Amino acid sequence: MSGNKKTRLVDKIVKNQWFFLLLVVVLLSIAAGLINYRFFGIRNILNILEQISVLGLVAAGATIVIISGNFDISVGSMIGLSAVIMAMLMIRGVNEVLAGCIGILVCILCSSINGFFTIVLGAPSFIISLATLGVYHGVALAITEGVIQTIYGQFETISNTKVFGFLPLMFVISVGGYLFIHMILKYTKIGRRVFAIGNNRRAAFLAGINVKSNTLLFFGLNGFLVGVAAVVLLSRLGAALPTTGAGLELKAIGAVVIGGVPITGGMGNAVGTFLGVLLIGVISNMLNLSRVNPYFQEIAYGSLIILSVAVGSLRVGVMKRG
Amino acid sequence: MIREKTKLLELNNITKDFSGTRALDDVSIDLFEGEVHCLIGENGAGKSTLIKILSGAEKPDRGIIKIFGKSYLKLEPRESINLSISTIYQDVDLVDTLTVADNIFLGNEIAYSYGAINAKEQVRRARDIMERLNIKIDVKKLVEELSPAQQQTLQIVKALYRDARIIIMDEPTSSLGQEETKALMELIRTITSKGVGVLYISHYLEEVFEIGDRITVLKDGKKINTYNTENIRVDAIIKDMVGREASLFYKRERVPIGKTMAKIMAYSRGEVVKNVTFDVREGEIFGIGGLVGSGRTELVNLLFGIDKRESGSFTLDGREITPSTPKEAIEKGLCMIVENRKDDGLFLIRSVKENIGIVHTDKSNFVIQLKNEIGLVRQMIQRLRIDVSGLDQEVGNLSGGNQQKSIMARWLLTNARLFIFDEPTKGVDIGSKEEIYKFMTELAREGKAIIMVSSDMPELLSMSDRIGIMRSGELVKIIDSHNATEEKILTEFFGLGATN
Repeated sequence: MSGNKKTRLVDKIVKNQWFFLLLVVVLLSIAAGLINYRFFGIRNILNILEQISVLGLVAAGATIVIISGNFDISVGSMIGLSAVIMAMLMIRGVNEVLAGCIGILVCILCSSINGFFTIVLGAPSFIISLATLGVYHGVALAITEGVIQTIYGQFETISNTKVFGFLPLMFVISVGGYLFIHMILKYTKIGRRVFAIGNNRRAAFLAGINVKSNTLLFFGLNGFLVGVAAVVLLSRLGAALPTTGAGLELKAIGAVVIGGVPITGGMGNAVGTFLGVLLIGVISNMLNLSRVNPYFQEIAYGSLIILSVAVGSLRVGVMKRG
Repeated sequence: MIREKTKLLELNNITKDFSGTRALDDVSIDLFEGEVHCLIGENGAGKSTLIKILSGAEKPDRGIIKIFGKSYLKLEPRESINLSISTIYQDVDLVDTLTVADNIFLGNEIAYSYGAINAKEQVRRARDIMERLNIKIDVKKLVEELSPAQQQTLQIVKALYRDARIIIMDEPTSSLGQEETKALMELIRTITSKGVGVLYISHYLEEVFEIGDRITVLKDGKKINTYNTENIRVDAIIKDMVGREASLFYKRERVPIGKTMAKIMAYSRGEVVKNVTFDVREGEIFGIGGLVGSGRTELVNLLFGIDKRESGSFTLDGREITPSTPKEAIEKGLCMIVENRKDDGLFLIRSVKENIGIVHTDKSNFVIQLKNEIGLVRQMIQRLRIDVSGLDQEVGNLSGGNQQKSIMARWLLTNARLFIFDEPTKGVDIGSKEEIYKFMTELAREGKAIIMVSSDMPELLSMSDRIGIMRSGELVKIIDSHNATEEKILTEFFGLGATN
């Protein structure tokens, strides 16, 4: 009986993509440390954590959206729009907290618009957000006329604060984002609906779940996290352009996929996403330290996604045989 | 006829098992050129397995397939097509966004020497074929613009263009109106006069008698008889379809029946469900039977609020509830065990726990009480004896019977009053089947009401207290099950009751 339990535990570990991810992160870190002793320096580690905090928040939001069987590729544009609005408000003397809240609301609204058109038109959210990607970016360009909005020294509290004197607040916020998503997915009925709708929309509908209103809610939650990411990013940069945040959407989707969520949705968790983001952070830091041409980083990042998909399908193959 | 007709096809002693169930048992049939040979039998009689064997989708366990005198132990799909066998299924497989002509030549395009398709020539030849068969379809139209009947016709044309000598038609008229059916019959006569042999499968006896040269009756995987149509009467055919051994009938315990619980009044939706009214009492199992396409599933879909009704009202325990969505139906005390559990019921990559708990958990607090949920799910697994390796096992890995029981467990946790079962034992092994029957009886004993749609005749007869018979969207008759016989029910299915 105990042997049975043990194999079940092993089974569980092997079946979880996050176990492999953790292994890869640890091995890569050791390799990085061997190549360059500075990798394990406290400052470098804190630096990594700081660098991945914005991506982490966006990826946490993407986790819910992708598990539910949807996509939002407009989040980069949303961040740009929200950041320029916040910066413009602050320049015009609006209180920072109020401006931050407005920035978050802008993202909730934008993401909900994506959700709204997805359910009303019954169209794939990928296409809807492909369209709004351009719209949100265009709005940001129009209101700024393409001019950079600088607020140096005005909104640095978040990026400068260290919890316990060393831990970047940005990273703590980011962890809060993962926890938020983790709690929702695991302990609330909203989480159950995310999985149910993502796995089988029709069965969810027949089990009495309102697929439309819940989909809208998932997009709203995504918008909230993207909004927080925009606030953190603005604080870190001290200036905003309509292109601020561009490219984050693809990295976030990549992190979620690396974290083990199938592109068709229906399963996955926040731990996987966290490790996916961490892996991206570690690799990019490693390449930076080794002074690898930044252009190659994109290549490394792309290869990583292919690799993780390959590991995923290998695992499925092994499970089927076993 | 001067010369002897050639035998196109001969199946000798074909036997096929599916995981313990014998789908075909020593069946032999043949088909001559220029002949329409009709196969009839209820669901599960083995008709579709026979088609699959001929189209190469399944290989027989025993028996010999002879085509144009040559023997085969099995056919590959490609082989079957090369042997000029063409199967036309109920669901049309045409490319909607291409034209009629393009569809006819799809995969065998007429091309110029440099590779581009010669559209003109295709259109010319397509018109030519249509003319010869006396069909009036514009070959330049897109397939999506055609009526279902025209699409059906186009499939036949396509098969003929590929020189099919043996055409198998599986319920070709199930989505056609009367006029369209007539036109199809004409077309079949035209093609058989050119020497093609047609194996025609249908539920509709009327059609079979009109078009068939010979009729073979299948029942529970066995061939009962083959007749020449001119020498046989409808009632003899029905006699062949009934008369099962008593062992096939489940002996259900009868439970006391109480007062009326549900009143269903004047439910309608277009041509599919017409003005259906009936009631169900506490502790009663109300069976609904009828042929494929008679509107059974469509009716229960309306009751559960899945499809939009045009009219109708639903009263439960004296209160009007008439649900418009499944969500409302569930809140008002209904539940439905769907026919197609993989597509419509289960979350296949999710755990047993989530699959069983989903509705109950969704009605509870915002934060899930995991321990409480696990406890309830455990109870259900024990009560229904669901065979699982653990609560986290993916439901997709369970057997059909255990999957069905998981769905039943889901609804048991909701305190529903009225259970709608759509084909409760479809794709379920014999052991689980009996358990599901026992469980349904238990529900009835607890005073729940059950509406059960079933195409399984023994199931319908042995489980129901009363049987409502549907024909072309109408609930034509309600029969008390103790004075119902297979024969009586089948006669009603076919609409031959008035003559008796």
